[in-house]
Amino acid sequence: MSAAEKTNAPHRRTEPPFVRWLLIGIALAFIALFLVVPLVSVFTEALRQGFGVYFQTLHDPLTLSAIQLTLIAAGISVPLNCIFGVTAAWAIAKFDFRGKNILLTLIDLPFSISPVISGLIYVLVFGAQGWFGSWFSDHNLKIIFAVPGIVLATIFVTFPFVARELIPLMQAQGRTEEEAARVLGASGWQTFWRVTIPNIKWGLLYGVILCNARAMGEFGAVSVVSGHIQGQTNTIPLHVQILYESDNFAGAFAVASLLTFLALVTLVLKTWVEYKNTALRGTAFTPVPIGKKAV
Amino acid sequence: MSVEVRNITKKFGGFTALDNVSLKVESGELVALLGPSGSGKTTLLRTIAGLEFPDNTGEAQVLFYGEDVTSIPASERKAGFAFQHYALFRHMTVFENIAFGLRVRPKTTRPAEVKIRERVGELLKLIQLEPLAERFPSQLSGGQRQRVALARALAVEPKVLLLDEPFGALDAKVRKELRRWLRNLHDEIHITTLFVTHDQEEALEVSDRVAILRDGKIEQIGTPDEIYDHPASPFVYDFLGNVNLFSGRVHEGSVTIGDSKFDVPETSGESGADTVAFVRPHDIRITREANGQKSFPARIVRSNAAGPVANLELERFDGGGRFTAQLGKEEFQQLQLKAGENVFVELKNVKVFSDDFSI
Amino acid sequence: MATRQLGAKKLRVLPGFKLTLGFTLFYLGLIVLIPLSAVFIKTSTLTWAQFSHTVFSPQALAAYRLSFGASFFAALVNAIFGLIVAWVLVRYNFLGKKLVDALVDLPFALPTAVAGITLATLYSPNGWIGGLLAPLGIKVAYTQLGVFVALTFIGLPFIVRTVQPVLEDFDPELEDAAASLGANRWQVFWRVIFPTLTPALLTGFALAFARALGEYGSVVFISSNIPMKTQIVPLLIMNELDGFQYAKATALAVVMLVISFLILLAVNVLQWWSNRYNTNNLA
Repeated sequence: MSAAEKTNAPHRRTEPPFVRWLLIGIALAFIALFLVVPLVSVFTEALRQGFGVYFQTLHDPLTLSAIQLTLIAAGISVPLNCIFGVTAAWAIAKFDFRGKNILLTLIDLPFSISPVISGLIYVLVFGAQGWFGSWFSDHNLKIIFAVPGIVLATIFVTFPFVARELIPLMQAQGRTEEEAARVLGASGWQTFWRVTIPNIKWGLLYGVILCNARAMGEFGAVSVVSGHIQGQTNTIPLHVQILYESDNFAGAFAVASLLTFLALVTLVLKTWVEYKNTALRGTAFTPVPIGKKAV
Repeated sequence: MSVEVRNITKKFGGFTALDNVSLKVESGELVALLGPSGSGKTTLLRTIAGLEFPDNTGEAQVLFYGEDVTSIPASERKAGFAFQHYALFRHMTVFENIAFGLRVRPKTTRPAEVKIRERVGELLKLIQLEPLAERFPSQLSGGQRQRVALARALAVEPKVLLLDEPFGALDAKVRKELRRWLRNLHDEIHITTLFVTHDQEEALEVSDRVAILRDGKIEQIGTPDEIYDHPASPFVYDFLGNVNLFSGRVHEGSVTIGDSKFDVPETSGESGADTVAFVRPHDIRITREANGQKSFPARIVRSNAAGPVANLELERFDGGGRFTAQLGKEEFQQLQLKAGENVFVELKNVKVFSDDFSI
Repeated sequence: MATRQLGAKKLRVLPGFKLTLGFTLFYLGLIVLIPLSAVFIKTSTLTWAQFSHTVFSPQALAAYRLSFGASFFAALVNAIFGLIVAWVLVRYNFLGKKLVDALVDLPFALPTAVAGITLATLYSPNGWIGGLLAPLGIKVAYTQLGVFVALTFIGLPFIVRTVQPVLEDFDPELEDAAASLGANRWQVFWRVIFPTLTPALLTGFALAFARALGEYGSVVFISSNIPMKTQIVPLLIMNELDGFQYAKATALAVVMLVISFLILLAVNVLQWWSNRYNTNNLA
């Protein structure tokens, strides 16, 4: 093996160059076809009728109200799921109790449920014919086809995001640092804020980034519980659908480009956290990919 | 004035980690808890610190200088604990790690910032790591981390210092340096100290007294000399060093092995009973000439003279099996021993345990 | 954990066990378990005839067939190409590798509605890709093929992200060992590397398949939603909901939930299976 080959290849044994370049070619073609081309086309379609139409759509009051509602939904669901994630991870990682594995599976459950069904279950509970439907309508409270329903559905679909990053991280870190803090006289809160939180902050941030992306982009579940009333119960993704189905393609893609931009920011932040995490020795956490089962 | 535990029993599922253990450590003493893994030594240490709680509430007691601390949480016990893998706070500098115990005190008892800096400065000096105050734990070597962990534990002026395998994760050379350093430190500050180890050499070298644990019980406790010279059981004898076993028969202060007879100074056993005699390799004398009944013939199977001593593997003529001997380099060279040669063997300091033959 | 009976109170070194576990169970129950149980309770009010009439109707059967078929082939395509992408990202160096690595997660980050309208536009007969395929007589948008394309898009990261870490952890000494025993490069891959990747590959496949089964947003635009032809199960459920046929929608949801749980179980078994070598080492 030549010296040059040694420095180039991370692994000492590798395939002949022909095979290597063929595989790289296939991988890049696949990525280009399925990811790059759609990505580029979002922005091309959005600007097809020029910047004027583009900015006009974004300034439209209906678009602005959709943005506002999306921010509200994410603004409520992300902090709630964040608190839940930290709490659940503390209980699961720092203590031993029976039924832990069942609990872990249940926490991951919303991921394996179709978005349409995620919306449906709230209709069954809070809808006009649902369990609590009449009670709520008697009290003039509207949950389904209204903002609370949208928030609830968003909480449901983003439920596991923070927990599934933190649980394996805190399990891997063990409890000796917390024990050390206790022996040194720290109270429970002091231990949590001064030792635990600094140790999990990157994992927490990672979970929040992913949770937020899903909260802002959720479509199916929200679609079921939203009344599709423009200016009132329309989130950004639902607004995209309404524009698209009314054949306002440039408008639909203009709004879609906002969400695409959000997705790109998410990917950048995510990569940054991963990079930061490897650069900071000692606080390492292994990001749990969305696809992978956490624990 | 002492640190004391009484009647501690602790089970993990079906495994008994501690079985009615009582132990008293005098003020200013340095005591080693020695035992194989699973003997309960770490659990005992953690129980003293308040990191584990005994199962038998009511009977079990932990006393710090007469005060019952059994139901006092770890955070209020004022025990300094150094964890096996140090458990340094990875996001804090060396300085902040050491200062932690002072900073988390309630406002009323928390020292002023100047005092904290002063105290941490003293400790950094004590552990000889002043230039590394601003480093993070990940930037330190194992030995340095251990010293920081010690300083952190000492910062809160603990009533007792508890060290869990303090040198366990270090390489051999650093280990030896650090244990000498620990002994000197203890001689300087005289804090009541317990440390856990599975290394008998470490326990014998560093401590004032050694407690040997086996299966959740204290097998023997005493000064290093006492337990080495007068082991209470075959287990202790075996755990403290290499050992050869010879089956024989006890008879009035001596033991008969094959056709030979050796003195047993400390025998209490009845005459005529079958027994196992224990002899350390360095208590075996090799000669060229027979010494009547006080020696038996053997053949040298293998010899290894690398290092300060020579190790021999020998085989008895009477089919009693193989054993090992250790002798000084000088003696080895004078005798000009070679593998395959026949020699005579004398046994010194033979130990016979009357009741329990198992190791 | 360190516990001790002291009357009824347990002593623990770290505080907050009851509080955190209590909150966890409360929140889990409120957000997930109670609403989810509604599906099963609602369905139990149906008679068997009503239930089977809904879930075994020709329209439902056609929807299952398309959902399972398209999800299966999408997951299969992703298994093959995902393995290649993961391999290339771990083993080779090329320009833009970091960018590709980051981009793989795009289908997770991109809202499904955006993916849906983009793919529908791209693959429509006058779109960039659809335009190229139209002269060949291949129609993608508004056909079953379109459903497959959308499901492939959303399932893309699963295989890559499950295989990648296993490949990264793979000890190159094993390859050296195999090579020193006379195996050629292909034999090394097929007999040494591939078997260690199999559990991850199957897990990724199951996850991609499960995700595809439930997918709605990216499919709704590219599928013409024609019953018996291009309608997948989530679309069928949505149709029933739009018609306020809650009982029917719920019955179909139960079928889908049961299938999801079975896949979840399979994934758990797979993960246990893939860890078996590690646990054996400990014993």
